[in-house]
Amino acid sequence: MSRLRTFLFRLRGMFRKRSLEQELADEILSHLQMQTDDLERQGLDPDEARYAALRKFGGVEQVKETYRERRGLPFLEIFLRDLGYGARMLRRSPIISMVAIMSLALGIGANTALFSVVDAVLLKTLSVDAPDRLLVFEWQAGRSFRTTGMSGTSNVNVPADMRGLSLFRYDIFKKMQQRQIDAGVESSLSDLFAFGPIRDLTAKVGDQPEIINGQAVSGNYFAGLKLQPSRGRAITDEDDQPGAAPVVVLSNQYWQERFGANPEVIGQQLLLNKQSFTIIGVTPAAFTGTGQVDYQPSVTIPLAHEPFLQGESSRLGTAGEPGVWWLNLMGRLKPGATYEQARESLNGTFQRAALEAMPQPRKVDQRTPDQLAPKDYPRLLTESGSRGMPDVRKDYAPTIYGLFMVVALVLLIACANLANLLLARAGLRGPEISVRLAVGAGRWRLIRQLLTESLLLSILGGTVGVFFAFWGKNALVALTDKETGLLPSGVELSLNWRVLLFTLAVSILTGFLFGLIPAWRATSLDLTSSLKQSRRATASMSPLSKGLLILQVAVSFILLVGAGLFVKTLSNLQRVNLGFNQDNLLVFRLQPEASGYKNQRLLQFYQQLFARLDQSPGVRSATFARVGLIANENWFNDFLLPGESEETAADHEMMRQMVRENYFATMEIPFLQGRGFTANDDGHSPLVAIVNKTFVDQYFPEQEVLGKHIRFLNGNREVEIVGVVADTKYESQREEIKPLLYTPWQQEGDTIGEMHFLVRTAGEPTALVASVRQLVRDLDNNLPVTQVGTQVARTQATLGKERLYARLLGFFGGLALLLAAIGLFGVLAHSVNQRTKEIGIRMAFGAQVKNVLRLVIWQGMRLVLLGLGVGVLMGYALKRLLESRYFGPRTWQRQLTEQLYGVNLIDPLTLIVIGLLLILVALIACWLPARRAAKVDPLVALRYE
Amino acid sequence: MAKSRHEVLPGTLSLLILKTLDTLGPLHGYGIARRIEQVSGDLLELNQGTIYPALLKLEQLGWIRTKWSVSENNRRAKYYSITRKGQKQLIAEEEDWRRTSAIVTRFLSPSEK
Repeated sequence: MSRLRTFLFRLRGMFRKRSLEQELADEILSHLQMQTDDLERQGLDPDEARYAALRKFGGVEQVKETYRERRGLPFLEIFLRDLGYGARMLRRSPIISMVAIMSLALGIGANTALFSVVDAVLLKTLSVDAPDRLLVFEWQAGRSFRTTGMSGTSNVNVPADMRGLSLFRYDIFKKMQQRQIDAGVESSLSDLFAFGPIRDLTAKVGDQPEIINGQAVSGNYFAGLKLQPSRGRAITDEDDQPGAAPVVVLSNQYWQERFGANPEVIGQQLLLNKQSFTIIGVTPAAFTGTGQVDYQPSVTIPLAHEPFLQGESSRLGTAGEPGVWWLNLMGRLKPGATYEQARESLNGTFQRAALEAMPQPRKVDQRTPDQLAPKDYPRLLTESGSRGMPDVRKDYAPTIYGLFMVVALVLLIACANLANLLLARAGLRGPEISVRLAVGAGRWRLIRQLLTESLLLSILGGTVGVFFAFWGKNALVALTDKETGLLPSGVELSLNWRVLLFTLAVSILTGFLFGLIPAWRATSLDLTSSLKQSRRATASMSPLSKGLLILQVAVSFILLVGAGLFVKTLSNLQRVNLGFNQDNLLVFRLQPEASGYKNQRLLQFYQQLFARLDQSPGVRSATFARVGLIANENWFNDFLLPGESEETAADHEMMRQMVRENYFATMEIPFLQGRGFTANDDGHSPLVAIVNKTFVDQYFPEQEVLGKHIRFLNGNREVEIVGVVADTKYESQREEIKPLLYTPWQQEGDTIGEMHFLVRTAGEPTALVASVRQLVRDLDNNLPVTQVGTQVARTQATLGKERLYARLLGFFGGLALLLAAIGLFGVLAHSVNQRTKEIGIRMAFGAQVKNVLRLVIWQGMRLVLLGLGVGVLMGYALKRLLESRYFGPRTWQRQLTEQLYGVNLIDPLTLIVIGLLLILVALIACWLPARRAAKVDPLVALRYE
Repeated sequence: MAKSRHEVLPGTLSLLILKTLDTLGPLHGYGIARRIEQVSGDLLELNQGTIYPALLKLEQLGWIRTKWSVSENNRRAKYYSITRKGQKQLIAEEEDWRRTSAIVTRFLSPSEK
């Protein structure tokens, strides 16, 4: 309390300095006068009296100084004085200061923007009570442990010979939950709850149908999360009963967008897949779901009502049919309980249930035993659930960390620039500093002053950087779409206090980083020599300065080579032969099954639509496929070759595709053997299939393939291979072509559902969008047409990540090069300034202009070439490091190297091109100061000092 | 060394100032200095100036307050007076001082073997 009071008093002392100073003088004066008066009264003559009064008082200036020290806050005052001094230094050379602040701002801005991504994707915790006590359950099992029927994403860290999954089946969850409840107070969890995504629901508000994402949750989901809806009530255990009335909780975003944030919404009905649900609540705005980072459900329903939406394809399972491995499991730890306790308490129940649920062990190859070995038994794993499901987040880490590394390097180059600048300036200020040291200024005091200056620079840079970051963050959002792997869809970036704190920390750190060494060196002058020699003391470049330049060149070289590698990867991928003609192809998706179309009605719907599409003007040919092409989608099956039985079969897989009979003609995929599908290949005729060339090469090498029968493992269907077509890319440009089997759509019965239409047009495909929408609306005005675009655009979208890398690396590499060039220019220009006299002497002795040019250019280029050499060595070391076994297959460092396509980490062409580019830019940066050196007039130069 | 003069013990100057103000009421710096010299019988060697930083400190702590006024012989002077908080502090410090000096005195007096 009294300390605060003293502080405030002293603070006041700082601001009223002038009047307080006057007051002190007055007070002392009046003291001395009174003393003099008294002494005179005692009989001393006036002069003697004044002298005696002064003597009794003691040193007036000393008293004043002590008084002043106590009056203000000396530390703060010195700091402010240094700050003012620093500001004056900056103003004195505005261009250099601008360049310094701007380069720092670019570096810090880029780091801030990227950190906002790190924060939003990798760090942000769920906005629920005590999120750090939430944990996610996962499991691992030997490869021979079989799980049929999975839906969802898993990315679990397990040993190479194990499979890991973060998905659970409903019946198994129920058993685990029962076990947890039975344990009562003994349980280490207060709640065990489940949630599963339901993608692509057709929701209808008013008369506009739309496709939204939802989730189904166990009744204790909200209680377990300790999440209170911002409006209405949460789903409870009573809602999660088969007989209960169907209810739904809306996400805040969906409530805002579709209901205009209408508070009356509670109690209204919402149609989901044509079923009516009562809206009971809205979740808070900050809560976007516990699922994967790229999945924000708009609606949440109780698990018990999931069958309402999904009908026969319910993932919960029925009496006859087992459920699907689909649910994510989370628990809330009681205070003091550990992950391990939670895991061990449920592991037994899980293992028994999983083994019970498991079909026969699968043969990975012929040597696999028929029985599951105990080491392959499924085992529970746990991971932190504080940020929601971790699997997809792990996929984003490589890109984010990779880019973060890049921007950190850019900032490092900016720091090196600044350090060099300050070194040069410290050289100029050498005389001033040595004079101050000589008259007794403390070294620490001087270092503090120089550091204050560099901190001023870095804080200014950081402030401008925040603006750049704001702009950069929006640019990042604009650059990224679903496929770029940088920013998951639906994740919002904000420059919140965590991000700004990071910026402040980075600014201060950089200020120290580039300020400390120059300050240290500037104040460690040898006084006698530096006072005598004055400015010649710093005529040559210091080794530190050279080292910084070499480092800059090396780092920009590495960044540019990285950019070059990705540009090459992108161009390689863009030139990949897809195996079909993607020009003039309009694509869109329909999901009539979500609107209740089934079996015969579904077939008829598609037939009617094709009848109209085929007649439509501008359409050369219309077809569809189950799986969208080059869109990172897939569909696969296990199957049996002729003569194999389920018990003895080895593990083999094929990709699937279901198409209209004119698919191959429309897509211009050449036939190699046999016949194509016809409209007569329907439910009444024998089941047929067409395979790609890789299928033949892998499963029927050097055999007649036509007429061979294969059997699907699930569904137990047998099809006859009637034709062979050329290979095409399927999921992505990058993939190795896999065995692919096509089936005619009319023989697929109830597996026909959503389809991706491909319409070959006569002219520009997008011109037909409106008429296609109208055609669909004519048949059913409740059916949304989604994912509309051209195949070229879809193909390009899958290269989003590569394009993002190429663009950002190119941008930052260019920035790094620019910074390095500025640094080189600055240091050389400074050095030329310092050597004016020397150059003058040389010229006086007959040196030619070209000698001088060569002298200066060589001074810079020597460093550049050294930097290139160091860059190559560092690049090689980096390559060895990234490829070493130090990084496991699932680490982001390893995944980074796997981004490249058709180009080696050390690509000679890229190295040479980038090296030449760098040399060219460096030559320009050296030539400018060299030209100035060549213009030196010997007469003027010799008179210079 | 006929007459030995002592320096003010560190930390006791504030006590002396507070006690002076408490006894005599509002007083200017010169008056405080004179009073200390008089009471100590000119035994204390006091650079009068040193009381000013001490007064500032006491003011910052809120134990005394200041006011410009006119002195008995018509000089403008800054008058200091003790606050209630200062009086409390004075009582506490006096108590402290007595205890300390009692202990020291007991050590120095002939022991009662």
